[in-house]
Amino acid sequence: MEVTEVEPPKKPAKVAASPKKSEKEVVSPKKTPKTAASPKKTPKTTGSPKKAPKAAQPAGMTADDVLQNIPDAVLPEVDEDKKFNFFAKSKDESGASSMSIDIPEAQPNCLSGLTIVFTGVLPRLDRDASENLAKRYGAKVTKSISGKTSLVVIGDEAGPSKVKKIKQLGVKAIDEDGFIQLLRSMPMEGGDGDAAVKARLKREEEELKIIEQARQDEENERKQEEQRKIAQAKRLQEQERAQSQAASQGQASRQPPEQAKVVPNEDKLWTVRHAPKDVTQLCGNKGQIQKLKTWLTNWFDNSKRGFKDSGTDGAGFRACLISGPPGIGKTSAAHLVAKELGFDILEKNASDVRSKSLLNANIKSVLNNTSVMGFFNKEDSANAKSKTKFCLIMDEVDGMSSGDHGGAGALSAFCRITKMPMILICNDKSLPKMRTFDRVTFDLPFRRPSETEVKSRLMAIAFREKVKLDPTVIGQLVQATSNDMRQMINLLSTVSKTQKVIGADQAKSAASSWKKQTILKPFDITARLLNGQIYLPGSNHSLNDKIDLYFNDIDFAPLMIQENYLLTRPMNCKTGLEHLERVASAADDISQSDRVNSLIRSSEQQWSLLPFHGVLSSVSPSAAVAGNVSQRINFAGWLGQNSKAMKYQRILQELQYHTRLRTSTDKKELRLDYLSVLAKRLSNPILTRGEEGIEETINVMDYYYLTKEDWDSILDLGVGESRGELVAKKIPTKVKTAFTRKYNGGVHPTAIYKTGNSLASAAKKSSVDYEDVIEDDTNEKEEAEEEDSDKIDEKKDKLIKKKASKAKPKAKPRAKKAK
Amino acid sequence: MSNYALSLELPWVEKYRPHKLDDIVGNEETIERLKLIVQDGNVPHMIISGLPGIGKTTSIHCLAYELLGPELYQQATLELNASDERGIDVVRNKVKQFAQTKISLPPGRHKIIILDEADSMTPGAQQALRRTMEIYSNTTRFAFACNQSLKIIEPLQSRCAILRYNKLADDQVLARLLEITEAEKVQYNSEGLQALVFTAEGDMRQAINNLQSTVSGFGFVNDVNVFKIVDQPHPLVIKKILLSCTNAKNIDEAIDLLDTLWNKGYSAIDIVTLTFKVAKTLPGINESKRLDMIKEIGFVHMRVLEGVSTYLQLCGLFAKICDLA
Repeated sequence: MEVTEVEPPKKPAKVAASPKKSEKEVVSPKKTPKTAASPKKTPKTTGSPKKAPKAAQPAGMTADDVLQNIPDAVLPEVDEDKKFNFFAKSKDESGASSMSIDIPEAQPNCLSGLTIVFTGVLPRLDRDASENLAKRYGAKVTKSISGKTSLVVIGDEAGPSKVKKIKQLGVKAIDEDGFIQLLRSMPMEGGDGDAAVKARLKREEEELKIIEQARQDEENERKQEEQRKIAQAKRLQEQERAQSQAASQGQASRQPPEQAKVVPNEDKLWTVRHAPKDVTQLCGNKGQIQKLKTWLTNWFDNSKRGFKDSGTDGAGFRACLISGPPGIGKTSAAHLVAKELGFDILEKNASDVRSKSLLNANIKSVLNNTSVMGFFNKEDSANAKSKTKFCLIMDEVDGMSSGDHGGAGALSAFCRITKMPMILICNDKSLPKMRTFDRVTFDLPFRRPSETEVKSRLMAIAFREKVKLDPTVIGQLVQATSNDMRQMINLLSTVSKTQKVIGADQAKSAASSWKKQTILKPFDITARLLNGQIYLPGSNHSLNDKIDLYFNDIDFAPLMIQENYLLTRPMNCKTGLEHLERVASAADDISQSDRVNSLIRSSEQQWSLLPFHGVLSSVSPSAAVAGNVSQRINFAGWLGQNSKAMKYQRILQELQYHTRLRTSTDKKELRLDYLSVLAKRLSNPILTRGEEGIEETINVMDYYYLTKEDWDSILDLGVGESRGELVAKKIPTKVKTAFTRKYNGGVHPTAIYKTGNSLASAAKKSSVDYEDVIEDDTNEKEEAEEEDSDKIDEKKDKLIKKKASKAKPKAKPRAKKAK
Repeated sequence: MSNYALSLELPWVEKYRPHKLDDIVGNEETIERLKLIVQDGNVPHMIISGLPGIGKTTSIHCLAYELLGPELYQQATLELNASDERGIDVVRNKVKQFAQTKISLPPGRHKIIILDEADSMTPGAQQALRRTMEIYSNTTRFAFACNQSLKIIEPLQSRCAILRYNKLADDQVLARLLEITEAEKVQYNSEGLQALVFTAEGDMRQAINNLQSTVSGFGFVNDVNVFKIVDQPHPLVIKKILLSCTNAKNIDEAIDLLDTLWNKGYSAIDIVTLTFKVAKTLPGINESKRLDMIKEIGFVHMRVLEGVSTYLQLCGLFAKICDLA
C-alpha cells in the first residue's frame, strides 16, 4: 500500500472538479497497477487501497507512526451529522482560538512524500501560510482529496463534499493543532517510511537528470561557439584574400559587410542567454505547440485546397492567434516553431506603426511574396528551397492603440486573403478590439505553465549559473510571479547578484517584493474582499490593504459587492438569525455608501471622501458577511437594471405627454393609478372577444390619444400576472395582425405634442406629406441644379444624398419661401 | 540674514542630491545589489517603485553615471520623464532609434534608457516598448522609475527586475538632515529636527524642502517654526485623542486635546481628515471596532464637507467614538 503514496509525477490538475475526480477514482482500481518504473504515463493508476489497515511498517520513524500519534478526533463528529454548521459550532466551543501561533522550526524536508490537502478555515493559520509551510517542508499540496492524499488538514466549515470524501476514502484527517504537532515531530527527510524514501529517491533522481540536462546544454553551446569561431576565422581569411585580390587588381571593390558584433554570453540578459533553443525546451503548452506545428506544416497543403477543410487542426484558417498572459513563451514558441520548419520570419510588433494605411502599404504587398533568404544561404543548400517560404509574426496585436487607426480591422482582412501563414500573438483575446479576429483565425490559447513544468528548467538554469536553488523555493517563485517564466528568470538573475544560495528563508523575505502588481479585475476584487481569510485577527492584511482592493476599481468594486454580498456563508456564524443580522448591517452600509457616493459624484465633487466610500461600500459590508463564497460570483446586475429603469422612465414620460389631455396627473400617479386600469381596458376586449374587441380597444386608445406603440408600452409596463409577454402570448397572432391592420387603416387623433426622434413617427409624417414632398422634390432639384454645379458632384456621394432626401420634408417651408 | 539670498541659489534638494550610490540613504539591500551591478556591468531591465522622495530617480542616475563614466554618460543614456512627450510615437521613433544607434562602449556596458515617472505613460506607449526591450536587449537596457508599479502593464513587469524601495527610516532622514545642517551652518534644536522628520513621513525630499523653507523663513529650526511651515495638526495629538477615547474612555482628556488644536486655528476639515488617516492605522484595536470608528469619522467628514464645520461636530465625533466600545 505504500506504493500508492509515491508522488506521481504529475500533480492532479488543481482545477479539476471534484465529482469528475471521484469517478476516476472509482474506475482506477480495476486497472492493473503499473509498475513504479513507468509512472509517467499513468499518473492516475493509484486507486483507493488506502482503506487497507496500515500494517507492515518498516523500522524507524515513519510518517504513519507520527500520524498515528496525532488524534483525529474531529472526523467522527462530521460523520454523525454532515452539517458543517454543527461542526463549526462544536469547534468553537471546544477552544477559544488564540490570536497568534508559533510555528515550530521543523526538520528540513520532513513532510517529504506526503500529499496534504487543506480544507476549511484554519482557526489561526492563513490558508496560504499553511500551504506554504507544507510545501516548504517538502509536502505536496493539492486542492482536492483523492486516493493519493496522505492526510487532510481540516479547519472550520470544511465543505460537506470534502468531508464526505474523507470518510469515503478513509483518509487521515487532522486539525490545525495536529498539523503543528506533525511538523514538530516528523523526522528529517520524512523518516524512513517507504513513501518518504521513494519521494527522496525520486527527487534526487530528478535533480540528477536536471544537472545532466544542464551539462548537455552547456556542451552544445560550447560546440556551437567553436563552430562559430571556426566559421568566423574562415570568413576572415576569405575576406582578407578578397581584399588583397581587390587591392592587387587596383579596383575599389565594395567593402565586405562588417561582421555583426557578437555579444559575449556573459553580457546578455539571463532571459536571452537561456532562451529556449528548440521547441522541446519550452515549458508547458506542449499540446498547443504541437497544434501550431501541425498547422504550420500543413499550411501549404491546406492552401492548395483553398482552406476549405474544417479540420480540428485549424485546416480551415490562414492565420492563427496565440493568446495568453505574458512571460509564458508565446513569442518564443512562434519563432521556434517557424524556425524549425524552415520558415523565414518577418516580425512586426507594437513598436512598429501598424495603422490601416501603413499595413496596406507595407504588409499587403508582402503577403504573396516568397523569401529570397534561401538563395543567399549557400552554406546549407539542402534547406535552400524551404527557405523560400516565410511567415509573418504579428506580435502584441492587442497593443494596437490610438496611433494604429484601423489596424486591427485591416489585419483581420489580411487574415482572410494572405498567401503566407500569419501568426498573431496577443495577451487578452477577450478584449472587444480582438473580436474581429474571432472567426478568421485558428485559436491557440496558451496557459501558464504549472510549477512542475517550470521546475526542471529553472533548476537547470540555476545550475548553469552556479546558483544553489532550493527546489522548494520554486513554488514561491511561481506564486509570486503568477507563473510567469520570464519574470522568474529575471528575479533569479537579480537575486543571484547578491546571493549565491537561495533557500526557503531568503525566498520568503524577497517574495513580497517580487510580486507583480497588476490592477485586479472586478471579479478578483470581489472574491478577495468576500473571502473570510483576510478578516481573521491573525491575518496580515491591514485595513489599508483592504481599501487598496477597493481602489483597484473604484467604480465596479461597490457594485460587485452589492451584487454578491448575499452569496457568502459568513464565518463563525452560528444561527440563521445572526446571518440575517449581518446581512442587514451590510445592507445598511451599502445604502449609506450611496449617500457618500452622491456627494462624490455630484456637482460638489468631494473626492476626499473616496477612502470613506471605499470603507462603507466595499470593506465594511464584506467584513460583515465575509466567509466562504459558495457560488459563482456574478457580474454587477445594477448596470442592466439601471438602463432598463431609464427606459421605462422614458416610456412613462411619453405616455404622460400623450394622455395629458384626458388625465390630469403626473408621471408617478399615472403609473400608479391609471396604467393598471388602462392596461386592462386595452387588452381585455381583445382577450375575451378576439377580433370583435378590436373596435372597442381602438376607441379607448383614441380617447386617450394613444398610438399603437403606446399600446405595446402600456402592456410592457405590467407586472406579475399581467406581464407584457404573458398578455401578448394570450392574444392569437391572427387577432394581433388584424388589430394592427385595422389600426393602421384608420385615422387617429394625436395630441399636439410629438416626441422627438422616434423613427416610426418620422416615417408616418413623411407618408402623410407624401404628395407635397413630390412637388417639392422636383422644385428643389431644379433649384439645386441651377444654384450650384458643385452640388451635383456631392450628390454622387451616398451620405449626402441620403441626407438631402431626409431633409426634404423639413426643407419644404424654406423652399416655399424661396419661391 | 541678508547673505541668505546668496547662499540659497540652488534648492538644497538639488545641491545635496547624491552623485554616487554610496551616498544614497536607505534601502541598503537594494542599493547593495545596484553596486554589484555596477561592478559586473550587465544591468538588467529594472523597475524601481516606491513612494516619492526616497531616491528612486537618484539611484538610477547614480547607477548610470557609475556604470558609464562621465564622458559616456551624456552619450549613452536617454532620459525621458513626464515633462517630455512620451506618446506612442516618441516611443516608436525616438526610443527605438536610440536603441538602434551604435555607441562603442566598454564590454559589459550597455546604453541605458531611463524612463522616469513611467506610471504616467499611456498603456499604448508601454505596449510599444515590449519587443523593443527584447530585441535590443544586447545593447540597450531600460530603467523605469514609478510610484505605483501597478500602473505599469504586466508584460513590462514581466520583463524587468522589480525593485521596491521602502520608506526611509526616521533616523536615516535625520542623519541626512544633520549633514545638511552642518554644511549649511543652520541653527536648530532637536525638537525642530524631530518635527521635520515626523512631518516628512519618510520622504527625504519633503524633509529637505521643509528644512530649507524653515531656515529661509525663520532662520531657526524649532518645532513651532516647522509646524508653522508645514501647517498640519500634529498627528501625535490626534493619536492621543483617539487613544484616550478608545482605551481610557476619557472624553474630558480628548476634548482638552481637541481644544489645543482648535485654538491653534486648525479647521475642522484638517482635523477630520487627519483623524481618518490616523484611525486607519491606530494600533491595538480590533478590526470590526476600527471599521465602526472609521464609519463615524466618515460621517462627520461628510457633514463637515457639507458645511457644518463646527466645533460641536468634532466633540460629537469623539464622544461617539468613546461610546463605541
